[in-house]
Parts: sequence; structure tokens; C-alpha cells
Amino acid sequence: MSDVKIEASALSRSYRRADGAEVKALSAVDLRIEAGQFVCLVGPSGCGKTTLLQIIAGLVPPSGGNIVVNGQRVTAPGPSRGMVFQKDSVFPWMRVHANVEYGLSCRGVAKAERQKVAAQYLERVGLSHVAGAWPRELSGGMLKRVAVATVFANGADVLLLDEPFGALDYVTKRQLHDVLLTLWAEGEAGRRRTVVFVTHDVDEAMILADRIVVLRAGRVVDDLAVAADRPRTTDALLLPGMVRIKHILLTHLGLEAAR
Amino acid sequence: MGILLLLALWQALTSVVARSSLPTPLSVAIRIRQDFIHADQLSFYGLNTGLLDSMAYTATNVAAAVLMGAVVGAPLGLVTARFRLLRALVDPVLMTAGTIPIIVLAPFFLIWFGVDRISAMLLVAIFVTVILYVFAQRAADNIDPVYEESAYTLGASRARVVRDVLLPGTVPQILGGIRIALAGAWGLEAIAELMGAQYGIGKIVQLLAGATDVEGIFAALLVLGVVAVACDGLAAWVVARLAVWNQPARTGAE
Ligand SMILES: Nc1ncnc2c1ncn2[C@@H]1O[C@H](COP(=O)(O)OP(=O)(O)OP(=O)(O)O)[C@@H](O)[C@H]1O
Ligand SMILES: [Mg+2]
Repeated sequence: MSDVKIEASALSRSYRRADGAEVKALSAVDLRIEAGQFVCLVGPSGCGKTTLLQIIAGLVPPSGGNIVVNGQRVTAPGPSRGMVFQKDSVFPWMRVHANVEYGLSCRGVAKAERQKVAAQYLERVGLSHVAGAWPRELSGGMLKRVAVATVFANGADVLLLDEPFGALDYVTKRQLHDVLLTLWAEGEAGRRRTVVFVTHDVDEAMILADRIVVLRAGRVVDDLAVAADRPRTTDALLLPGMVRIKHILLTHLGLEAAR
Repeated sequence: MGILLLLALWQALTSVVARSSLPTPLSVAIRIRQDFIHADQLSFYGLNTGLLDSMAYTATNVAAAVLMGAVVGAPLGLVTARFRLLRALVDPVLMTAGTIPIIVLAPFFLIWFGVDRISAMLLVAIFVTVILYVFAQRAADNIDPVYEESAYTLGASRARVVRDVLLPGTVPQILGGIRIALAGAWGLEAIAELMGAQYGIGKIVQLLAGATDVEGIFAALLVLGVVAVACDGLAAWVVARLAVWNQPARTGAE
């Protein structure tokens, strides 16, 4: 059960900005993520979270080091690693249901089947009623949910989510947590999928994660196991172990003094 | 509304300017009716045709030129936007071609291709190609990379990304470019015909200019103008149809 799904070794990435300055987005990141693990990445804005996800997805090549997923070196993006982007990624020129079906159609799934799957995921994110709408007719939060449904419907074994619920209201966010946790649990052959989830929200990380990795200035500065039972109720978040984790996270984010 | 204003202005001008250099709207209208099927004045020059046939000839050339330019220019613009090397190769060629005045280019085409319609057509097609190349390339440069990235992570092949992302994402700008190219193409086609052709509105203008038949020239140009405006309206309508998704969201009040 402890086979490694994602392995980053000495990963680094630097950008040269237009003004000539060199920005180190990631430096010497070592990270092993086991199959079925739910990992949350937290850290202050600009610390390299998106960059790390993009490298795992194969969208950005590392400047140094290695990234291996499923035992293979990542060189290009592919459908085995689904990504929900921080920016809006829903195609404005396709209707909502066509967006959700897109990945399936790329992989040659028959029309009737992909319509069924798309309808199912639109239902799960609460958007059945706008399946035939154009994206421009939806609100920001609804667009985000379409993006989530699109990636979930595609059924990738590794899910990379970049602040997917950041723009959502509290109720919808909590509902989508349940959707995500269900999806996570129902991977192929009864095995859990592997999830890397970027968030700014400390409580969100504690509700979802098995493990919370803290990034700061392009480096991994902490790596915390979250052992509480699931489903995590409001009371579970008040257990001494959880409160201790929360204090550590808040300290990393500079909101509390170290004690 | 604008047409009425134009007519009124025209009518007012005819009362100050000599009739021989500016005919009245009414006389031009009558002349259009006379010349519509068969223009007697042109028979002197051995040209057995009327405004309708000539307009059809010119319009066919323009349509063919815009089509050729669109088919070559737009895809080339899209592809070069994604392949730097190709871009470095194609950019200078097309940019140079685009800056040569048609007056300079026309004689060469007449020598190479003769006074057939192919000369004028190619001449216009070159300019349409350059315009659409630039429009398509700019559109592809401006489309947010997140769409292509998203398509790739969903499992799209390169060909599918071009078909499902690059093309639809740039269609509004390319169609806008086609409208602009179309607007310019009428004038260019007329000039090309003026410089050497056997038929067409431009040819009529050239012949009648030799006879200083101002009324006849006005009649021909007015027909050209009306058809050009009508085509632009048609193009605008098609553009709106083809990019429904791109309509401003706040207008959907049905
Ligand atoms: N394409 C780029 N060109 C230049 N610099 C970049 C580029 N992408 C990211 N960077 C820089 O790399 C650093 C890390 O960026 P990244 O997007 O990974 O941060 P992040 O942790 O996702 O931040 P946020 O929480 O605000 O989304 C930042 O300093 C950013 O300015
Ligand atoms: Mg980010």
C-alpha cells in the first residue's frame, strides 16, 4: 500500500522576469507522495505552490532535479494527472456540458456514455440546471464548479487542485469537499486516488488532508501528518492534536508567534 | 438614416458644383437603371456588358480573393504563433509583401498572369492574406495559455488543441479581420481592374474616365459602394452567428 506515486527530487525552478531579475520559484524540493494520499500544500502567496503543481502536471519543466509520477519521468501533460487551475479554464466557446465532456471525448469515450458521466458530475457539483448554458452566463463560483466537474469526470488517478474552492461561498465549499472526498475514495480498482491540493485556508487543509506540506519561499519547511478519523466533524477539529497542528500552521503563516 | 443625410448633402452640393463634374443623385439613379443590363456607352469600346454583369465579375473576384486569403493567411498566422522558427521565416516575407503598394505590384502580375481575372484576384488575395495572417497571429498570441494547458491535461492531442482551442478561441478576431479585409478588398479589386482587366466595375470606370463620362462613373461606383456595404452587413451577421458564445453576456434579455 505504500508505493510511491509522486516523487520529486531536488526540484528547482527559476524564472527570468522581463526586467532581467531572476526569481527562484522553487529550490531543492524533495517530496514523496504515496499512492492514495491526500496532501495539502499550504504557504504564503508567491511561495511556489502553483509552480510545483505545474511541474507535477508536466506543464512547466523544472530547471533542475527530477519529477517522477507512476514510476515515469514527467515530460509532458497528460490525462493521468488531472488539474484544476487557479485561473478560469472553462472554454468559453463550449457549452457547459460540452466542457465537462471534453476530456472524455478526447479519450474516445462514446457520446452516450460521456453524456451520462457529465450529467452525473454536473449533478454532484449542483449545476444540472445550467448544463446547456454558455460559460459567460455563469457566475465565478459556478465556473469554478464546472472546472471541478470537468476534471473529476475525466477520472484521473492523480488530481492536482490549485485553490479550487478559494472563490466559493462557505456552503458550496463544504459540499464540494464531500464531493472531492467521495471521488478520492473511489479510484480505480477500489483504490484511493492521489490528491495534491493547494489552499490558503488552514481549516480547509485540516478537514481534507492526510498530510499537510508547508512551503515557504520555494522550499518545503514543514511536513505534518493529520491522523484524525474521517469524516472530520466540527468537533474533530477541536481535538488537541488538531489544535496543535493549527497552531503550527498559523505560526508558519506568520499569524502567531512561535511558542 | 446615414444614407438620407448623404443624399441630401450630395443634392445640396450639385447646386454649387458644375453638373459636368458632379451629377445629381437622380441622374445617376436613372443612369444606373439604363446601364444595369446593357450599357450602350461601353459598346463603343467593344465591351458588351452592363453594371450587373460587371458587378458580378468584381464581386466574384473579391469573394475568391478573400476566400484564398483567409484559407492561407489565417491558418498560417495560427501556426506561426506557436512555432517560433516558422514565424521567424514567414514573418519577414509576408510583412514585406504587405507593404508593397498595389500600383507597384500590379504590372508584374499583369506580365506574369495576363489581363485575366486571375491577376486581379491574386493581387487582392495577397493583401487579404497578410491582413488575416496578422489578425490570426495576434489572436493566438493573446489567448490565455490556461485553455491550452487545460486541454492537454485533459488528454487532448496537439491536433485537437488546434481544433478545439486555438481555432474557436481566435475565431472572433479572425472574423473581425475578414470584415476588415473585405472592406479593403473592394477598393483594391477596383484598382487592380483599372490597371488592366477586361471586365469589372474598375474596367468600366477606366473606360468611362477616358470619355470623361462622370455620370457613368458615378453610377458604377455607387453600385460598387452599395454592394460593398451590403456585403459588410452580411459579414457582420455571419460573424455574430459563428461566435454566439462571444456575445456580451448582459444583452441576453429574452
Ligand atoms: N511565468 C512566470 N514568470 C516569471 N515569474 C514567475 C512566473 N510564474 C511564477 N513566477 C514567480 O514564481 C514565484 C512563485 O509563483 P507561484 O505562482 O508558484 O506562487 P503561488 O505559491 O502559487 O502563489 P499564490 O498563492 O499567490 O497563487 C512568484 O514569485 C512568481 O512571481
Ligand atoms: Mg498559485
